[in-house]
Amino acid sequence: MSFKVIKPGFLSLVEDYGRFGLAQYGLSQSGVMDEHAYCWANHLLDNHFNDAVLEITFGGCELKALTNSSIVVTGADLDFKINGKEQLLWHVLSIKPDDVLTWSMAKNGVRSYLAIKSGFQTKELFNSRSVNLREHIGSKLAEGDELLSKIDVPEAVQHAIPSHFVPDYKQDLILRLLPSYQFDQFDSQQKQIFFNQRYTISSASDRTGCRLEGQGIQNVPSTMISEGISYGSVEITTQGLPIILLKDSPTIGGYPKIGTMFSLDLADLAQRQSGSKVIFELINIETAQKKRNDFNAFFAIN
Amino acid sequence: MFSIKLAGENSIIIYFGDHASPDLIEKIRFYRQLITDELGEIIIDVVPSYTTLMVSYQLDLVSHIEFCKQVEEFLNKPFKPSASSSNLIEIPVYYGLDVGLDLEQLLIDSDLNLEQFIEIHSSPTYLVYAIGFSPAFAFLGEVDERIRRPRLHNPRINIPAGSVGIADNQTAVYPIDSSGGWNIIGQTPIDLSLDNSDNLTRFTAGDHVRFLPIDKQQYLNLGGIL
Repeated sequence: MSFKVIKPGFLSLVEDYGRFGLAQYGLSQSGVMDEHAYCWANHLLDNHFNDAVLEITFGGCELKALTNSSIVVTGADLDFKINGKEQLLWHVLSIKPDDVLTWSMAKNGVRSYLAIKSGFQTKELFNSRSVNLREHIGSKLAEGDELLSKIDVPEAVQHAIPSHFVPDYKQDLILRLLPSYQFDQFDSQQKQIFFNQRYTISSASDRTGCRLEGQGIQNVPSTMISEGISYGSVEITTQGLPIILLKDSPTIGGYPKIGTMFSLDLADLAQRQSGSKVIFELINIETAQKKRNDFNAFFAIN
Repeated sequence: MFSIKLAGENSIIIYFGDHASPDLIEKIRFYRQLITDELGEIIIDVVPSYTTLMVSYQLDLVSHIEFCKQVEEFLNKPFKPSASSSNLIEIPVYYGLDVGLDLEQLLIDSDLNLEQFIEIHSSPTYLVYAIGFSPAFAFLGEVDERIRRPRLHNPRINIPAGSVGIADNQTAVYPIDSSGGWNIIGQTPIDLSLDNSDNLTRFTAGDHVRFLPIDKQQYLNLGGIL
């Protein structure tokens, strides 16, 4: 046992790298929204890349430690404190019984990741510990829950991330798009509208999809025959506005798609609050694969 | 004929035709099997749908160009309709006005009595065209023209698990409580939810489904709730 939940917060979910191999039965990929922050958290603890963490959205969360353990908190700055004292993010910390961990409010970014040595030992469902509320798989953290982990003897070594890897979530974001699916069916005028504007992230965004507000693309066909959706697919709705499909998205859908996002840009997107600005630009498949392969190699993801 | 398109940084989508048909579903099923048998170790997920097959792969093992080449090779092999028949899944359904929220309206619209309606909905063997919307939600076709009806204008916030619905030429069972806009015509007492993990893999695209009409007493005996 390692934590007792005093306050669950707005939305706190146990997530891992995701659920794979079952998409043909309609199961979403699920998993952490910010792979960059997640992978660093596990990496700093020498964890396996798939070890489960707690994804805390917006804060309001309070946990009481029940055992000694090594932890790392990465991602958004949600004013993380231990016993009322501000703590370093992206940094291995040792905690002891009765320590109180709090995430009170979103100062920079949206989602904070709490990783613990060897990961949280929640029940695996369909090959993954990732909670997916849309699919009724697992449930969000509730008051009184106990989060289990393996017994750990904290090490003296205090790994931390080189500061240039710590992102600033307040900057405008460039989203790199692969020309996939129906890209060729959008004409040059429609593409011009899409690529030449700063979209605003809508508050109607969640783990299923990120909706963007802005000038709509005209004359988009309303529906097509439903087809498989990949992570980061950018649907254009009947109103001509993009929805970027994220980890909890359904596996098939019938809106036309202008492209698919480069996955690591979705990690940055996961930390942008509503009202933030984004711009799209193109990336080619060779570059995207090279960048993702480098990331996977660094974090030993396979 | 087929065409391959990029779907994501580690996925492609194969288009087999312009409109869905049982023959096309059979074809997609055949090539899905072939590709997963031959390339299994580099494949992460396959998502068959009405006219397409999406395939994601391990990009540390193969590049986009190389993967397309390999897949193309298999797609160029001749299609052989499967000798073995696909699964047939039987689902008991209670078509009652007390559980079929839209049944009364459908009877009025179609100018049928309840017996006729049940006969029309339960006599075909339906084909699983696709799985999606939510886990284990199987899109079944085709619904007889006499009982087709478009989706509701205002989707319901909560449709109970086990509800059987119609939307245009498709019918389906809601495996879990969910929101949705299908016309609800009945209820199965069988648990199709993911509480029983075997239910996840109950349906595969290309399988067949039959609905077995049951009366209220049988429905209750099988654990149905009113």
